[in-house]
Amino acid sequence: MKLFQTAIAAALLGATALAAPAHADVKIGLIGGVTGPIAAMAPPMIASAQLAIDQVNANGGILDGQKLIGVVGDSACNPQNGTDAATKAVNIEGVVAIVGPHCSGSVLAVANSVTVPAGIAIITPSGTSPEITSLDDKDTVFRTVPSDDYQGRALARTLLDRGTKKVAVAYLNNDYGKGLAEAFKSEFEANGGEIAGYAAHEGEKASYRSNLAELASGGADTLVILDYGDGSGLTLLRQALENGFFENFVGADGMKSDATFKELGAENLTTFVASSPVGEKSDALEMFSKAFTEAGGDPSAIFVTTSYDAAFLMALAVEKAGGDKTKVAAAMREISNGTGETILPGEWAKAKELIAAGKAIDYKGAAGDHNFDEKGDVPGAYALFKVGANGFEMIGEMK
Amino acid sequence: MEWIGFANYAVYMAIFICIYALLSLGLNIQWGFTGLFNAGIAGFFAVGAYTSAVLTSPAADGRLGGFDLPFWVGWIGAMVAAALIAWPIGKICLRFRSDYLAIATIGVAEIIRLVIKSEDWLTNSARGITDIPRPLGDLPYTMSQLAYLAIVMAILLVVYLMVERQIASPWGRMMRAIRDNEDAARAMGKDVPYRRLEAFIFGSALMGLGGALFAHFNRSITPEAIDPMVATFLVWIMLILGGSGNNRGAILGVAVVWVIWSVSEIVTDQFPHEYAVKAKYLRIFLIGLMLQLVLRFRPEGLLPEASGERKPVGKTGN
Repeated sequence: MKLFQTAIAAALLGATALAAPAHADVKIGLIGGVTGPIAAMAPPMIASAQLAIDQVNANGGILDGQKLIGVVGDSACNPQNGTDAATKAVNIEGVVAIVGPHCSGSVLAVANSVTVPAGIAIITPSGTSPEITSLDDKDTVFRTVPSDDYQGRALARTLLDRGTKKVAVAYLNNDYGKGLAEAFKSEFEANGGEIAGYAAHEGEKASYRSNLAELASGGADTLVILDYGDGSGLTLLRQALENGFFENFVGADGMKSDATFKELGAENLTTFVASSPVGEKSDALEMFSKAFTEAGGDPSAIFVTTSYDAAFLMALAVEKAGGDKTKVAAAMREISNGTGETILPGEWAKAKELIAAGKAIDYKGAAGDHNFDEKGDVPGAYALFKVGANGFEMIGEMK
Repeated sequence: MEWIGFANYAVYMAIFICIYALLSLGLNIQWGFTGLFNAGIAGFFAVGAYTSAVLTSPAADGRLGGFDLPFWVGWIGAMVAAALIAWPIGKICLRFRSDYLAIATIGVAEIIRLVIKSEDWLTNSARGITDIPRPLGDLPYTMSQLAYLAIVMAILLVVYLMVERQIASPWGRMMRAIRDNEDAARAMGKDVPYRRLEAFIFGSALMGLGGALFAHFNRSITPEAIDPMVATFLVWIMLILGGSGNNRGAILGVAVVWVIWSVSEIVTDQFPHEYAVKAKYLRIFLIGLMLQLVLRFRPEGLLPEASGERKPVGKTGN
C-alpha cells in the first residue's frame, strides 16, 4: 500500500514539477504508436519528425527565436492510449498542435474526443483510413499520407498498363490493408483486370502457406501483397518465394521496406515491385534524405518522409499563425496550397523570413506537394520501385 | 490558466476510470464472487460497443444500420446484446472448470474480434464505425467532458449500488458458496450450472455497457480498441490489484492502474526524445512490476474481500 502511495506521489510530484512550462518554448505533440503493433515503424517516424524540429531550432527557432519542442506521446495504436496521450499533450503539456497519431483508429478517437472539441489541429503521417476523410473535424484534421483509396487505384491502373491482367491479392486485415485492397479491386476489375484470388490474412503468424496455396489455386502468376514489409508481408513474400506459389510480386508503400532485400536478398527479388508516394520534385526528397542520413536515420524506412513533412508543415503553420493554437489549422491551408514561394525540406530560415514579410509560401515536401483538398487530404503522387543493387530504384511514375 | 489543463486531464482520467470500472465490476461478479475465469472481456466489450454504435449512428452505406436511435436505446441495447451473446457461450463453456474456461472464453473473444474485423456488412470491418453521437457532445470541450463524466459517474454509481445490494443478498451468499465449495452448494440443493450462468450473463451485460460508454465517448469504435491487451488483460490486472471479491477494490484497482499508467508518461515525456521513445516500455514494465509485488506481498489485493458476516438485505432465501 505504502509503495503505491509513494509511487503515485512521486509520479504526481514529478508531473507537477516538470509540467510547469517555461513559457519561452513552443510545444507540439508527437503522438505515435511507440508500443503496440507498429512498434518497429514508430521510432524512425518520430526521429524524422524530430529532425524537422531540430532544423527549426538550428535555423532561428520559431516565432521570436523560441525553441520548438516535440513532446512524444504513446498512442500504442489503439484508441484508449491514443486519447490518453492526446489529452495529456493538449492539457498538461499545452501543445499548440499535434503531429500524429500514427494509426487510423487512434486518429479517429483522438480527433473525435480530444482535438476537435479542443480546437487543436492535428496532422497524421500514417493514418490512411478513408474514414478520416469524412470526419466532422471543423477543418482541423490533416494528413500528409494519401488515403488508401488513391494508392490502391493508382496501383491497379499501373499494373494494367504494364500488361498484368490477372492477379491474386493478399491483404493484411487492418484498415491499411483493407482500404488498399478494396480500392485496388474495384479499379482493377472496372478496367478489365481479373482478380483470381482475394483474401485477408491476420498479422504476425508464423506461416501463411495455406493462405498462399489457396490464392495460387486461382491460376494467377502475380501476387499483390498489401501488407508491411517488415512484418507479416515479409513472411508472406518469403514463403511465396520458397514454395514457388507465384512468379511476380507487387507491393504498396508498406512493402517498400529495406527489410525485404536485407532478409531475402536482392537477387531473389528481381520480380518484385512496390509503389510508394514520392514528391513530384525529387530534389525535395533528396534534401530530406541527405539530412536524415546525416542525422543517423534511414530515409527509406516506411512513413519517415510523411512524418518529416507533417512536422515541418506543422512548424510552418504554427509560425504563420503566430503561435496562436486556434489559428494553426487555418494557417496550415495557407502555407501549402500551391501558390507562393516554394519552400523545400529544411529551408526554415527562408520560410521564416517570407512569413515575417507577409509573403505567401508553398511547402513542397519529401513525400509530395501536400496541397490539401477540402477534407484535409492529399492526393499523393506515386512511383513504382524495383529492388536494385543499392536498394529500391524508381522505375516510373504512376498515374 | 494551467489549472484548467490539469482539470481537463483529471476529468478525462475520471471518465476513463468510470468506464473501465464497469468492466472491472462485471469481471468481479464473474471471478470475484462466482469464480468464473472469464478471459474474454474484450469480446463482450466489443459486442456492447458495436451494438450501441450500430443502433445510434446515422445511416451508412455498406454496413448494418445505423439506426439513428437515441443514445440510451443504444446503451440498453448494448447490455441486452452482450447478455444474449453471453447466454449460449455460458451454456456451452461454463461446464469447463477454471483454466479450461479461461481458454474457452479467450477463444470466444478472439472469434468475436475477428468477426468484427472481417465482416463488412455488419461492422464495416477494419475501418470501424464513426459518427457515433455523444450525449451533450456539442458543448464546448471542457463542458462536454464534464457532462459526460456526470453521466458515466451516475451510471457507475447505480451499477455499484445494485451490485453491492445483489452481492449482500442471499443470492450473493449463494454465489460465494458455489465459488468456495461447489459440492456443498449442490448438496444444499442449489442449481449450480444455472446460477453460474446467471452470474456470467450479469457480468457480461455490464461489460457490454462499458463498451457502449467507451464507443460514445470516442464517437468512434475500431477493432484496435478491442485488442485483448487493453480490453481483457488490463481489466484483469486492475481487478487483481484492487482486490477481487470487493467492489470498492475493483474500482480502486482501475483508478490505481490507470493513474500510474497515464501519469507515468508525463514523467517519461520529459526525457529527450530518443529516450522518451524507449521509456514508453518502462511503463508497461511498471504495471507488470506492480502486479508482481501485489501478488507477492498482498495477494488478496489492495482492498480484500470482506470476510465474516455480511448484513443480509433480503429476508427470503432462494
